Amino acid sequence: MSSSLLLSVTTFAYLACTVVYLAGVIFHRERLLAWGGRIAAGTLGIQTVALLLRWYESYEMGHGHAPLSNLYESLVFGAWAVMVVYLPLEWRTKHRSLGVFPAFISFLCMAYASFSPDVASHIQPLLPALKSNWLIAHVITCFLGYAAFAVAFGISVFYLLKRAHAGNPHPKGVFALMPDLRELDELNYQMILFGFLWLSVGIITGSVWANSAWGNYWSWDPKETWSLITWLVYAALLHARAMKGWRGKRVAWLSLAGFACVIFTYLGVNFLLSGLHSYATK
Amino acid sequence: MEGGSKQEMQEKKDWGRRFHDGLASLKLTVVILLALAVSSVLGTLLPQGLSDHQLEAAFPRIYWAIDLFSLGDLYHSGWFRFMMGLLCVNLVVCTLKRIPRTLKLLRHREENLSPERLEKFGLHARFETSRSWEDVKPVVEEVVRRHFAPLKSAGAQGRGGVAEKGRWSPWMVYTVHFSVLVVFAGALAGSIWGFNGSMRIHEGDASNVVGIFREQRMVELPFRVRCDDFTVSFYEGKAMPSDFRSDLTLLRGDEVLLQRTIRVNDPLTYEGYTFYQSSYGSNLREAVLEFKDLESGRTETVTLPFQEPRPLPGTDYQVQLVRYEESFSDFGRALGVVIFKEGEEPQGSWILADRPDFHGNRLGDRSVKVASLEETEYTGLQVKKDPGVWIVYLGFVALIVGVGLASYSSHRKVWVGAAGRSPSAEIVLAGRANKNPLSFEREFNALRERLEEELKAEK
Repeated sequence: MSSSLLLSVTTFAYLACTVVYLAGVIFHRERLLAWGGRIAAGTLGIQTVALLLRWYESYEMGHGHAPLSNLYESLVFGAWAVMVVYLPLEWRTKHRSLGVFPAFISFLCMAYASFSPDVASHIQPLLPALKSNWLIAHVITCFLGYAAFAVAFGISVFYLLKRAHAGNPHPKGVFALMPDLRELDELNYQMILFGFLWLSVGIITGSVWANSAWGNYWSWDPKETWSLITWLVYAALLHARAMKGWRGKRVAWLSLAGFACVIFTYLGVNFLLSGLHSYATK
Repeated sequence: MEGGSKQEMQEKKDWGRRFHDGLASLKLTVVILLALAVSSVLGTLLPQGLSDHQLEAAFPRIYWAIDLFSLGDLYHSGWFRFMMGLLCVNLVVCTLKRIPRTLKLLRHREENLSPERLEKFGLHARFETSRSWEDVKPVVEEVVRRHFAPLKSAGAQGRGGVAEKGRWSPWMVYTVHFSVLVVFAGALAGSIWGFNGSMRIHEGDASNVVGIFREQRMVELPFRVRCDDFTVSFYEGKAMPSDFRSDLTLLRGDEVLLQRTIRVNDPLTYEGYTFYQSSYGSNLREAVLEFKDLESGRTETVTLPFQEPRPLPGTDYQVQLVRYEESFSDFGRALGVVIFKEGEEPQGSWILADRPDFHGNRLGDRSVKVASLEETEYTGLQVKKDPGVWIVYLGFVALIVGVGLASYSSHRKVWVGAAGRSPSAEIVLAGRANKNPLSFEREFNALRERLEEELKAEK
């Protein structure tokens, strides 16, 4: 049993999970949604084993580093983090319809990691700059933040869809199994707070690491700057929420904008701009 | 006349107040945060830190705008700093405006709420019991204490109480705001009293001069840094370095202060100066050149240390190696050599070391041949002094603690009020939280259920 086999299984399992969640929402079947949750939890379990196995394999090969060192490994970890952040929310609130987007985003991450020719999946040795314990703290915290924003993105899309169709509340319609608008707004806010906390920790660990490795806690490197832009957008959102007339729709739109920044920070910067994080493209 | 000036004063006061309100407003906060975000985007799209000349060549059409708004060094430009300053002012003014409100809110305990008032709360519950308030009071107090917080007697004739949790929670937002100011203060201290530069030291050499590229100035260290040895190792069969390290000795005069090896991720700090391994490369140390006079056919051999002039024997000329290229547009290694003497224009030429028969290997009426080259490796060090970094770190810690506690704590209050006369009583439970209404609703409902059970059990 190798980690790459398990990760292939994970990719297809997330696809199945997305389909089941989506079918549950569209056909208004609570039982399908429950199955979506079970598949998601099972897939997360398999993926956890795969990640640990890959870590072990890297030691076997003599490299010995956590599976967080390049684009492939970060995509796989990203898919994992989204589910780790999402599933407790589902268990806590019992709103299983929210799983559509997290499952789909996890599937997209895995699919991109597995099928894109630009993404090298083999285990590589570490660059000298990455040989530090800060790597693990920095990557994990950043991805917890990104994952929470991904979940918030899904909730915001639900909010906007549901609000746009608030006129005809069909008891068996597509939107019937979604939480009501007030709760969607509240859950969106909770996820963003969670993401904001971890993004802050992620930026700070990166900053402290940069200072201990290169002597600069802030150098306006594009990746750094984009993470700050993301932070600023969510900070603006958290403040805007306290302003009259901003709660709800506008906050949901800001959450979409924030997630666009997250994607650009994570992928766009690597491919379109150059800087310190150049190792993340391969 | 007098009335007019009064009106003017009034207007001035209004303007002053409006200005103050504007500075303290949430709208301004959101606008500045988004403006900072948008300008930062601009800074990542446009290459930063290029020279004016490079910028003009790369963006001829918009160069005037780049120049006008100093977009080539956007993050250090006046207007970007102004926005950061404005954010700080907004933070301070807003905090000063809100602190009295928070204090008032905390001081105002709303102890004397009647059961009727409590029933108007969004979260409330009503219990009926066959016994008097005095009888059930210990039970209620015990349940609220165990599942929420100690209940303080309040209400008319003590027929009720208030319990509070997280009274410190409203202060956490101020902690976050304060931490941002602390980070800015640390950064400011660093930029005033610190520097960040780089030095290149060849193996065996020592130097105390740090070049600060951005400000085009030099800093002299109070001691010299010698590179005793530099090593780079590669992953097997790959061009990717696995490790590079420098053995450094710090010297004051001839006195050895410290000897240590530094590598990437493992810097050296001494007397507040920190040395980081940042890059490496090789440079020319010296070359042996043969100058052949084409007229007389005489050949002179000269050993030239890099960038130091030496006399050409038998003449009153001086020769100097001024440049060195490891690969000179596909022709291999090339030396920039200059020959000069007083009262004459200096002459210079590129001499190709790997193509000795190249016809252009000439300097005036002499042909030049490179007999041997000695290269030396240098280590690239980043040197930093930043007395503000601990202030910044303090701000970081406060920011994380503040954001965490501001997000996951709330000021929650529960009221109990008793209505009805002995021997039976009606008890109203009500609650309110300043944040996280959903989680407080769960907490409140759990408390309500416990209370309901206990009151039933008591019957």
